[in-house]
Amino acid sequence: MVMMGKLKQNLLVACLVISSVTVFYLGRHAMECHHRIEERSSQPGVLLGGSLGSSTVLRGSRPRGHNLSAPFVYNKDMPLVFIGGVPRSGTTLMRAMLDAHPEVRCGEETRVIPRILAMKQMWSRSGREKMRLDEAGVTDEVLDAAMQAFLLEIIVKHGEPANFLCNKDPFALKSLSYLAKIFPHAKFVLMIRDGRASVHSMISRKVTIAGFDLGSYRDCLTKWNRAIETMYTQCLEASDKCLPVHYEQLVLHPEKWMRTLLKFLDIPWNEAVLHHEELIGKAGGVSLSKVERSTDQVIKPVNVEALSKWVGKIPADVLRDMPVIAPMLSRLGYDPHANPPNYGRPDPKVLDNTRRVFKGEFQLPEFLREQSQSTTATVWQRAHMTCSQQHCIFRRLQRNLTPVRGSSQHATQSQTRHRWTEEDIQ
Amino acid sequence: MRVSVRKGLKGLLILGGLYTLTQFLRFCLPCRQPSQGAGEPVTVLVRDGWRVSADVPLVFVGGVPRSGTTLMRVMLDAHPAVRCGEETRVVPRLLGLKLGWAPEKEGVSTKVLDRAVTAFLLQIIAGHGEPAPLLCNKDPFTLKSAKYLAHLFPNSKFLLMLRDGRAAVYSMISRRVTIGGFDLSSYRDCLAKWSRATQAMLTQCTQVGSKRCLAVSYERLVLHPRSTLQTVLKFLGLPWHEGVLHHEEAIGRPGGVSLSKTERSTDQVMRPVNLEALTRWVGHIPPDVMADMDAIAPMLGRLGYDPRANPPNYGQPDPQVLNNTQRVLRGDFKTPVAGIHLKGRPLTSMKGSQTER
Repeated sequence: MVMMGKLKQNLLVACLVISSVTVFYLGRHAMECHHRIEERSSQPGVLLGGSLGSSTVLRGSRPRGHNLSAPFVYNKDMPLVFIGGVPRSGTTLMRAMLDAHPEVRCGEETRVIPRILAMKQMWSRSGREKMRLDEAGVTDEVLDAAMQAFLLEIIVKHGEPANFLCNKDPFALKSLSYLAKIFPHAKFVLMIRDGRASVHSMISRKVTIAGFDLGSYRDCLTKWNRAIETMYTQCLEASDKCLPVHYEQLVLHPEKWMRTLLKFLDIPWNEAVLHHEELIGKAGGVSLSKVERSTDQVIKPVNVEALSKWVGKIPADVLRDMPVIAPMLSRLGYDPHANPPNYGRPDPKVLDNTRRVFKGEFQLPEFLREQSQSTTATVWQRAHMTCSQQHCIFRRLQRNLTPVRGSSQHATQSQTRHRWTEEDIQ
Repeated sequence: MRVSVRKGLKGLLILGGLYTLTQFLRFCLPCRQPSQGAGEPVTVLVRDGWRVSADVPLVFVGGVPRSGTTLMRVMLDAHPAVRCGEETRVVPRLLGLKLGWAPEKEGVSTKVLDRAVTAFLLQIIAGHGEPAPLLCNKDPFTLKSAKYLAHLFPNSKFLLMLRDGRAAVYSMISRRVTIGGFDLSSYRDCLAKWSRATQAMLTQCTQVGSKRCLAVSYERLVLHPRSTLQTVLKFLGLPWHEGVLHHEEAIGRPGGVSLSKTERSTDQVMRPVNLEALTRWVGHIPPDVMADMDAIAPMLGRLGYDPRANPPNYGQPDPQVLNNTQRVLRGDFKTPVAGIHLKGRPLTSMKGSQTER
């Protein structure tokens, strides 16, 4: 009887201990919850950077690995990154490589951001409209606050939280100066590429871009010139807030350029940015869109496949008038008469990647395949058929690595170059 | 006895523990929020600690232009609890832009897009004027998106101004008020467009429901302002205030009516409620259009305006309105009255017609 009593007693004590521990733990959790709720409805002391003037206060959860007791507040003073350029200039590659960094999230193109920026630009350009808006109390201050609110909601909420939020919409940088004004701590990455390559890419892949007539190399090059001039001018004006990055240099020397870029953005180095292809579709990695036109390319590691595909594809009359059609080419360092210019020699790792790509190692994963994947399939097939043999691969690389003066005549020089590149690779 | 006391104490402790447990669990529930706070209403910081959320009480005033939308909003502005302010011009443009965005083709989900639109609209509506318990926005064509706005702003209400289409069209043509999509050289075209626009807005209004959308007839407003405004203020949940019947005395005053020099109705709303514009249209509509009136503008008949009567009998005015009209015709409000000014600056020249026949 006594034994039973003692057992019961011990059991009861044990129960009490367990329940009080649970209560204590739950209580602490509840206090945290309560504090979080209170802070959410409290005053702007929580705003980061003590911003003056209008700003939007958005709240969300902190990314994993951070103290959950304080709310994550978003406002116009946060360090945003805007990536842009003329489409087909490596903007997706750039954002995919940044997305591979655990502290950065760019995500897919929003498509709405450039449109609202363009609309805002229209209102500001007309003096009469500006006067009418001012009369209505819709001053620059009010408009800027509204734009900040809209853009922040989109950028922050359309993907996972991260320490460094980034947005990639190519033509958003047509409003680079305005973005720099309303987001004082934002930085900009302007992707620059040989216009001939960009234009060949959009025409051969039939990538519809408003204002670009895909039936004419001349028109596309003219439009490319205008677009890159606008963006480049604003980039220079923004000086230390904007970093121009040449696509060719990025794919030839990715480590050097990613180190430069991360230093410019004040983001600590992480090796993952050089292996973005390993993080496709992974949490905290690279999220790709089924409908975006570069998806089938950025699933592969950084390679030189696309560097000089344009050679031999541009009509002769356009080639002849090139400096007149696209004066930005030489301003940006691309020789308008060289087909192609000597972009440089790739890092050994990139050469290796390119070899693996030619072997067909990187296929579009199932979850990224769309209903109408016929275009992707045919592109793949074509690449496969034309370059399944060893010598074909070398021929391709050789074209990428060596300059040809005047009109494209690789055949005459193939003999000597062929030997050189073979040695180079082996 | 010792055993039972001990047992009792233990029992109490257990009960106490269970009680605190349930209390804390109750506190914990609100913490379980979706990761990105998508459940929270959109909140914007307008200025100096003035925060506005998407669930703020709001009223949208609209209708086809030249239907008394400005008159309605200035009368509401005269109420101390309401602030409408001028037409923002950008609100309908963003709504128009949004209509063209198909969510499947865009890189952002509908939910995120809606939040962004809400944030933008809040900043404009709140930011372009002074704070007030009931914020209001008057941009005529916003009522084409009443259903969408009702979804974005759960505490919003809508006032749809309706008017005899012949009068509205005469006003836009004679005053040359440019309206997107309306061909000012053709009564036929404008009347047809008026009918279509009115139908679209009325449909939206019906879909939003009578608790949140009230259609107000311009004619009834100018003939019987007191009773009409009583209905409107009751609908909005506001107490009565005599000031709404004398909006012309509140122009330019703080907490009163703010007018824009560039808006096309400014010269008219500077005067008290009057009957001047009611039947001006009579005799100006081409006979061929008059003959086909019902076919061109079916909404006329549906709204209760006899398409063949020129003019229909809108009703008998209240004595106060009659009085106002006489004063206006006498010329009491032709020149700016001392003290009345727009936005702190004295009136210079006012564009707009005087009494023309």
